[in-house]
Amino acid sequence: MYLSNAEERALSGEKGTALQLAYRVLVAIGRISDAEKLIPIKWAHVSGVSHLTIGDYGLDFLKKISRSKGAKFRVFTTVNPCGMDVRNWDELKIPTDYAEKQLQINDCYERLGMANSFTCVPFQSYKVPSPGSHIAWAESSAAVYANSILGLMTNRESAVSALASALTGKTVYSDLHITKNRRPQKNIRVSLGNRKRIFGGSLDYGILGYFAGNNVPGVIGFQGLRSAVEIEEAKALSAAIGIIGSSGMFVLRSREKAETLDFSENEYQETFSQLSDAEKGDLIVFGCPQMTIEELYELSRSLQGKKLRKKCVVFCSSKIYDLATSRGYVRPIEASGAIFVRDACADFTPIISSMGASAVETDSCKGAHYMKRVHNVKIALRTTKEIIGANAG
Amino acid sequence: MRMRCIVEGGRIKGETLCTSTPIAFLRGVDPVKGVVSDPKHELYDVSFAGKILVFPNSVGSSVGAYVIYRLKKNRKAPKAIINQSADIITCSGCAISGIPLYDLPANQISELKSGQIVQLSGSGAPELTILDE
Repeated sequence: MYLSNAEERALSGEKGTALQLAYRVLVAIGRISDAEKLIPIKWAHVSGVSHLTIGDYGLDFLKKISRSKGAKFRVFTTVNPCGMDVRNWDELKIPTDYAEKQLQINDCYERLGMANSFTCVPFQSYKVPSPGSHIAWAESSAAVYANSILGLMTNRESAVSALASALTGKTVYSDLHITKNRRPQKNIRVSLGNRKRIFGGSLDYGILGYFAGNNVPGVIGFQGLRSAVEIEEAKALSAAIGIIGSSGMFVLRSREKAETLDFSENEYQETFSQLSDAEKGDLIVFGCPQMTIEELYELSRSLQGKKLRKKCVVFCSSKIYDLATSRGYVRPIEASGAIFVRDACADFTPIISSMGASAVETDSCKGAHYMKRVHNVKIALRTTKEIIGANAG
Repeated sequence: MRMRCIVEGGRIKGETLCTSTPIAFLRGVDPVKGVVSDPKHELYDVSFAGKILVFPNSVGSSVGAYVIYRLKKNRKAPKAIINQSADIITCSGCAISGIPLYDLPANQISELKSGQIVQLSGSGAPELTILDE
């Protein structure tokens, strides 16, 4: 792989340990992906923030990097949600030793110069660069959304590779950074014409994404979807595609001549039952990925003047929470009895376990997949409307 | 055998420990003992510390890279790793830990057996030589 003189010097350690390690990571990845060079990026998004995922292993490394001389993010960098709401972790009964370690992790990223919000939907809170821009995003749901909906170019980065990109401002020029690799390799034909309910909404798109990610490792082409897909539907689709498999991109209306798989009622029901194993739950979870401002608006309207008969947790970034507060969306949601948890991830937080739930009701396929595994709960997948209809009055 | 260099190392001589089963570093390896901790794995509870560890590729979470780093800090890391096709987890883990990493095509990697003494030449065009069966 070609390296410029400046890159060679940084690799040799002339610019400090952090930059040397970061270039070592990029060079090693460049070699396994047969890349010709590194390219500058406009935005890095780093995963590996919750102590539930990176543990003491990751914390050790982050401490070393963030304290080494001259280490800083050289490009605009956002980071994933952490394991708790830093404004009220105490009230939410987060164990103290966990909280201390989480705060140490957050401190490392803050020292390096992260943007001030822990979020898995970074495109909601910050200005998105023009289509065709190169970025390096970990967090599979955001990377898939960036490639497929925003027209940005990124591979599905890992915690370490995205950190290396944040420190250097560069990424490896390979795979989805190259236009010719962004054509669908397999099509999925959606044919659900005979259903009682019209296909649509976050839950349906999540089911479709889970099926697609499971069956297509490369770029996915969809056929038969209606022309307008809402932001929330695209977000749910991207999140579900990112859970399993390795696909980093989809095309909503594929014209590619490629092998085609059918997604009809059978496939829908089979996928649904892989994720949902309960009729109802004792805890409601909204916000995996974190809620957008539009979703909070909808939720506040549907909960207006109602009381929830079950515990309910709503996950969003602190930035979106503050915006929603100023627009008056937060009050009706809190008045219904729901609790906001800001800057945290529903799947990798001790909150769900500490609430003692045995089954969770959610509209999120990604949440279903992870909460089942991480928190050992059963899952009742339902649409937001069904959840509110059954539990609020 | 001519290897592909992913993370450089100097001249290394050591004993091989081989498996044809992929390794999951997160939740599949014990970084305190330096062993595979999955009871179903062929290398379950066999120490790979200081060995030349040969496996096809890693699987599971990319956080596995930090487990490799922890192994190195605990002085329980392999001396070098040889993969059939190195992936992003092993390669980023080795890069931040300074563990030499190479890969070899399938037909050549299958010639390696546990307990061989091998020598890896340094960077450039690295070669693997079997010194003793």
